[in-house]
Amino acid sequence: MSERVHDPIARLAVLLSRLPGVGEKTAQRLAFHILESPKEYARELSQALLALEHDVRLCSRCCNLTAQEPCALCRDPLRDGRLLCVVETVPDLLAIERTREFRGRYHVLHGALSPLDGVGPDRLKIKELLARLSHDGARTESDAAGASSEKIEEIILATDPTVEGEATALYLSRLLKPLGLRITRIAQGLPMGGDLEYADQVTLARAMSGRREL
Amino acid sequence: MLEGPNGQGKTNFLEACYLACTLRPLRAQRLAELVNFGADAARVTAQFEMRGGDRAVEIEIAQGRRVARLDGKPLRDPDELFRELAVVAFTPDDLSLVRAGPDLRRRLLDRAVQNRHPAQLSDARDYLRALKSRNELLRQGAPDALREAFDGPLAQVGARIRLRREEILRELSPFAERAFSQVARGEATLALSYQVAGGDLQPIVGESESALSARLAQGLSARLSRDRLRGFTSVGPHADDLSISLGEKPARAFASQGQARAIVLAFKIGEIENLRAQQGRAPLLLLDDVSSELDPERNAFLMRSLAALAGQVLLTTTDADHLVGALRDARGEAGDVRLYQVRAGRIQAG
Ligand SMILES: Nc1ncnc2c1ncn2[C@@H]1O[C@H](COP(=O)(O)OP(=O)(O)OP(=O)(O)O)[C@@H](O)[C@H]1O
Ligand SMILES: [Mg+2]
Ligand SMILES: [Zn+2]
Repeated sequence: MSERVHDPIARLAVLLSRLPGVGEKTAQRLAFHILESPKEYARELSQALLALEHDVRLCSRCCNLTAQEPCALCRDPLRDGRLLCVVETVPDLLAIERTREFRGRYHVLHGALSPLDGVGPDRLKIKELLARLSHDGARTESDAAGASSEKIEEIILATDPTVEGEATALYLSRLLKPLGLRITRIAQGLPMGGDLEYADQVTLARAMSGRREL
Repeated sequence: MLEGPNGQGKTNFLEACYLACTLRPLRAQRLAELVNFGADAARVTAQFEMRGGDRAVEIEIAQGRRVARLDGKPLRDPDELFRELAVVAFTPDDLSLVRAGPDLRRRLLDRAVQNRHPAQLSDARDYLRALKSRNELLRQGAPDALREAFDGPLAQVGARIRLRREEILRELSPFAERAFSQVARGEATLALSYQVAGGDLQPIVGESESALSARLAQGLSARLSRDRLRGFTSVGPHADDLSISLGEKPARAFASQGQARAIVLAFKIGEIENLRAQQGRAPLLLLDDVSSELDPERNAFLMRSLAALAGQVLLTTTDADHLVGALRDARGEAGDVRLYQVRAGRIQAG
């Protein structure tokens, strides 16, 4: 039993090695690096990690990750509230933001329909999307600080060009059709089986501007 | 030419070559089977002479996943590699495919397609995923709206896969049928065609991908109640077949064992000749001890065809003297043959 006392360095290394792309050796090197850095660094790092746990939540409007409510993108008065871009994940949202091609607002589904992984519509933020649209846009979007009354006119489905992403786009397009909005899908410049997050910026920007009606 | 007694690692070597060219296993069902027993990972490195000069391909398999590098850089888009490489493999397993179930014939067709259209590989993966998803939804009795969402990509990718299969068959059939008439002199003529599951889904000349996709989607809906009962999807390229007939009779039922082998031989030679006609160069050919499975006359035909092929051939045998003799008989000299000995997993020149 006495052997079970954790060596803090080994403990940290084990935790770090769970990160994607970090092997055991790298994890150990990182752990020693933190140990040898000025004391404030370890403290700041641990506070930043705790803040993730305490402060980051889903934006009640768009389901983006945020420390403020609503998130900065939902509050920004300069964004075009008539355009709503639906993405699978927060990294996808960030990838589209990097292209600077899109100035509307977002909705994050937090996944895609995937029967093989047991993900059905109720596991995605589809209810939240519908609520957003059925409130006529006006009420929900207008109470954002500084944002004037906004009515969503076009939904851009920017799910990944994978089987699951395509199916999710198709599912949403049929679900949303009765609302009478314009529904578009980003162009297929992206190869199927690809991943929005890793698409290069030019390809993604082109896919965004070349979107087609669904 | 790789020579060695049984169980020394000859086929393993060809397996590695095939993996380096296609990123897929040749015989193995799963990538994990390629890793040495007791080891964590497998690595294959290969040097290819390509149009742009020598290029190094490196593939590592660990935990059932594959990482490929081209000239040391991660290969993000496998097409980059496939555009440059065509490979045709011929193994004793192939010899049974005429009379076996349709899986092997579809694989034969898909491997031929892949040499012409590298994207077939990722499309096939997408198709399988869409198919499994739909079957899962059928079994769960999921709402129509959800199932239909997967019918879309299934029909879309399915149409693409099917049109490419039909195209490759149009391309290579004349070559294969001619090769067969040469190898089986005087016997019935060979005819190859694409056999579609579902009377309403028969080929229409000149049909576009989107039109076929719409037709496939309709075909899926039309069979919904039956598919629901059975828990799987009954139409689509996964249910189609390569139809082979000899003198208008289905070869699957009526071909003799010797004829069945001659058909496979003719198909492979047809595939090679088509690639040469289309791409202006011969594919890399991997031959796994096929000679020992063929009678002397068919073997001589294979050797003559190899001799006429201006490309690289890697072949394995348990009896090099015999094979070199057969090659010499075929063209009067053995040509540029380099012999390697395979013993207990090691390969040595000699
Ligand atoms: N993953 C693996 N790890 C270690 N050994 C393996 C693995 N898979 C197969 N083997 C073994 O490798 C040996 C060589 O197999 P291989 O099929 O290459 O032989 P071969 O030289 O082609 O023989 P034959 O002439 O009988 O076809 C066999 O004994 C086989 O059991
Ligand atoms: Mg073997
Ligand atoms: Zn928000």
